[in-house]
Amino acid sequence: MIDNGLLVQMLLGALLGLSVYLPLAAGQLSLATPAFYAIGGTLAALLSTRWALLGGGVDGSLPVLSLLLELLLGGLLAGVLAALLGGLVLRLRGIYLAIATIALVEIVRVAILNLPFTGGAVGIFGIPQPFAEASGYLLPVLGLLTLAGWFCQRLEALPLGQAMAAIRDDELAAECLGIDTTQVKLRAFVLSAVLAGATGVLAAHFLNTWNARQGTFDASVATLAFVILGGSRTWLGPVFGGLLLTALPELLRPVGDARLVLFGLVILLGPVLAPQGLITPALLERLGSLGRGAAR
Amino acid sequence: MMESLLQTLLNGVASGGVYALVALGYTLVFSVLGVINFAQGALFSLGGYATYLLMGGRIGVNGAWPGLGLPVALPFGLALLLAALLTALASLLVERVAFAPLRRRGAEPLQSLITSLGAGVVLVNLLQILMGAEGYAFPDGAGALAGLPDMVMLGGARIRTIQLLLLAICAGAVLLLSLWLERSRGGKALRAVAEDFTTARLLGIDSDAMVRLAFALSGVLAGLGGGLVGLSVSLTGPYFGISYGLKGLAVLVLGGLGSVPGAIAGGLLMGLAEALVPADASGWRDALAFAILFGVLLLRPGGLLGRVQVDKV
Amino acid sequence: MPSDATPLDRRQRGALRLAALLAAAVGGIALLGRRADPAAQPLPPPAAAGGALTLGAVIALTGNANLYGQDQRLGIGLAERWAADRARRDPAAFPRPVLLSLEDGASDEQSAIAAFNLMLRRGVVALIGPTLSQQAFAADPIAQRRGVPVVAPSNTAKGIPQIGHFISRVSAQSSVIAPLSIEEALQRDPGLSRVAVFYAQDDAYSTAEVAIFQKALTAKGLRPVSVQRTQLGQNDFQSAITAVLPLRPQLVVISAQAVDGGNLIRQLRELGYRGQIVVGNGLNTPNIYPICQRWCDGILIAQAYSPDLDTPINRAFLALHRRSKGEAPPSQLTAQAWTAYQVLFEAIQRLQRGGGLQGVSLAEARRRLMTELLSGRYDTPLGPIRFSPEGEVIQGRFFVAEVRMGPGGRDGKFTLVRERSLEEGGG
Repeated sequence: MIDNGLLVQMLLGALLGLSVYLPLAAGQLSLATPAFYAIGGTLAALLSTRWALLGGGVDGSLPVLSLLLELLLGGLLAGVLAALLGGLVLRLRGIYLAIATIALVEIVRVAILNLPFTGGAVGIFGIPQPFAEASGYLLPVLGLLTLAGWFCQRLEALPLGQAMAAIRDDELAAECLGIDTTQVKLRAFVLSAVLAGATGVLAAHFLNTWNARQGTFDASVATLAFVILGGSRTWLGPVFGGLLLTALPELLRPVGDARLVLFGLVILLGPVLAPQGLITPALLERLGSLGRGAAR
Repeated sequence: MMESLLQTLLNGVASGGVYALVALGYTLVFSVLGVINFAQGALFSLGGYATYLLMGGRIGVNGAWPGLGLPVALPFGLALLLAALLTALASLLVERVAFAPLRRRGAEPLQSLITSLGAGVVLVNLLQILMGAEGYAFPDGAGALAGLPDMVMLGGARIRTIQLLLLAICAGAVLLLSLWLERSRGGKALRAVAEDFTTARLLGIDSDAMVRLAFALSGVLAGLGGGLVGLSVSLTGPYFGISYGLKGLAVLVLGGLGSVPGAIAGGLLMGLAEALVPADASGWRDALAFAILFGVLLLRPGGLLGRVQVDKV
Repeated sequence: MPSDATPLDRRQRGALRLAALLAAAVGGIALLGRRADPAAQPLPPPAAAGGALTLGAVIALTGNANLYGQDQRLGIGLAERWAADRARRDPAAFPRPVLLSLEDGASDEQSAIAAFNLMLRRGVVALIGPTLSQQAFAADPIAQRRGVPVVAPSNTAKGIPQIGHFISRVSAQSSVIAPLSIEEALQRDPGLSRVAVFYAQDDAYSTAEVAIFQKALTAKGLRPVSVQRTQLGQNDFQSAITAVLPLRPQLVVISAQAVDGGNLIRQLRELGYRGQIVVGNGLNTPNIYPICQRWCDGILIAQAYSPDLDTPINRAFLALHRRSKGEAPPSQLTAQAWTAYQVLFEAIQRLQRGGGLQGVSLAEARRRLMTELLSGRYDTPLGPIRFSPEGEVIQGRFFVAEVRMGPGGRDGKFTLVRERSLEEGGG
């Protein structure tokens, strides 16, 4: 049912889910992820097709080391932009922040469409491939996801993570506790952007082509759905949601024309039936005490 | 010079009127529940298709069943009203399925973003399966315009007659709604709920009924908007309401969430700003709307006419 | 409940366990997903069980491009019926049974890639699709790497056959046909000098086509007085049109997708434009009639397909089309999708008759099919066509048509104005 090409897409979805999760863990509903994803992807597409130093061969190949360099640069560019923008945007709250970030996504989309060097509507195609097969992408994508997951897990014990959780619970109280809320929110925002930018780099190579349609309002909502359906209280939620919701339209192929109706039903009924998302802290606790309970 | 200024103004008002109508649909629900109904764009599509069908339009069901249609052919005005009522019913259904279960449980407002989006996805794709993907145009003139010229000249500026009609109905609907909100008992109750959910309940207002009322009214607005825009520019496929939904969202925030005058002012402003973009930069027009939104939010975090925002997500 | 752990510990342990579980699942799926393509398997003889070759079609049935996908599904389906009918009547000439496997490629790159991969796993011998050029740039390299022939029925962007040896198309690039309609307009009004251009700037097809239009205009010594950029899905053109009309254009050139362009034409006419209108191939479908209605009348279009072409194969196509769609004339997309199926079907049969499919693996069969496909000549509803070594279609005949709307203003017809025989290789 699931081939490695789809698996790579699912893992990319999980990464984007984590990117939306990070600011949300600090109580900030930012939908800017597709903007940074688009920026990362555009950078990778430009670098690998225009910059000979990266070693993109005429046979359409690319040294893996160059991919790593692009990952670094893509993450860095997204992070720097986020740091600059975050100061402005993060003064907004709740739905205002959400809409402002949607605006950001649209602005980036139109910019990529109109800039003279991004290929216009067709975009940039013939992006060099670091791997001959889809399976090759599993390694870097899984690597990035593992790194991000490990970091999110560690975050729970770190001061930054605890400060984020405090802001999420009650921003005023957190401020009273002496937490520099502006700084903490900004860090979460930047981390989210770095992750989205790096994911865009991988996606650009995987997709062979890159254009303005990759980062849109639809993508904003889809990635938010990953988090809400998977569960926003633990990092495993968005990962699970990303994997599931990316695979779902493909798994629903046998139902033909009705597949998007069913897909819509799933995101409609998901939060109704599982209000906390599919992966909740309570579920993790139960899972954690499973073996112990049986042993006694 | 005067002519072109007048033309720009006219262009801006014509598109801004529709934006305002869409934004008002969001506003009603937002002011009561503090959430955004992402299915609004899909309801807009539904309104267009319902009007078309009630006028005796034929659909193709993706070529599977050419020439299918309702056994009625109502005049445009009647079809529009009926379609608006039908869309109101659909809006109530959306409330029932996507909002009510979450509200009863006191869930985060975030989740209703997703459920309403799901409702929208279902609706749009159902429309596509049932109606087909092809574009449909309302019968020429649509009864209301038969015999009138295609275009009206106002002081050297041109506007399509249909656009004028659209603008007039938009303005009428908005005016009626504002009056109703200001003057009537129901309107006052609705505003009370919007002001403070709990207090309104203590005052003996059935807040659930008010929520349903808000959804029904926003459904009526979506239905009107869909039918009118459909008349003006045809039904360009099941997705046609979605882009209006997105623009409306920007307008909603621009004017200030939950503010009725804000939605109207925001819509007109957005339309005018877009009309002012010179031809050479027309590729950037869509970005302009959101850049303005972005700028306004940074200067006035509550939108143009919004109240200072409260600390809640 | 164990007392030796705080809820936090338990939660962390649970998270680790779940993460391990997910990782194991991903690993398992990755292991299973490796066997992706049965390319190495030998091809059974035609009469054996499983002896039918599968053609995969990946077209947009959902998303914004689904309107084109519906036309294409129809064309492929009709061609399949036509081919099966011929094979039934003359089994010796059509020795290899062919099956069709059709999947939704939606309107985005990700779905096209997933559908292509799915098709490869099913062991298709060749692919038709995807609908949009942007999707082709994403999905075609996959087929190219695996050595699976692809025939694009509707990709017209520059650079599609150049993706690789296995990629070809039956959709003529606009560079060949677009100038013809400009010539026609100039012949009708040799004195015209003021031209306005509208195009959808976020649509790969229109941006490529409008460049051709501009070149054709420049060649005739005409510089547009205004170039307006519109968006895909835009339906209100009041601003763009009122910006242009004061410049008193005598010719308007439109490159946009069908429904958008139909709206643009209607609004142009409603706002008082009376001059000539030349439209690009995005509007080459009867789907525009219900949108621009009586206002469509008189627009000029250069076509790669004309229903008026009087050849046996086009009559067969028209007859089948009438049976499923009634009197509405077929669109160019439908004819091109039919053609994509037809060329593959005929190449397979030729290859089979020549013994080229005897005792080879699926991978080898794909390679040979590609060579056969490119070397053949085909008599199609589009007229006689063949391929350049690169995979670009070489089409002999093109048409300039004028839209004539019926008295009710709801039904119309592309009326052939001129037929042009371009010398082969002219593309």
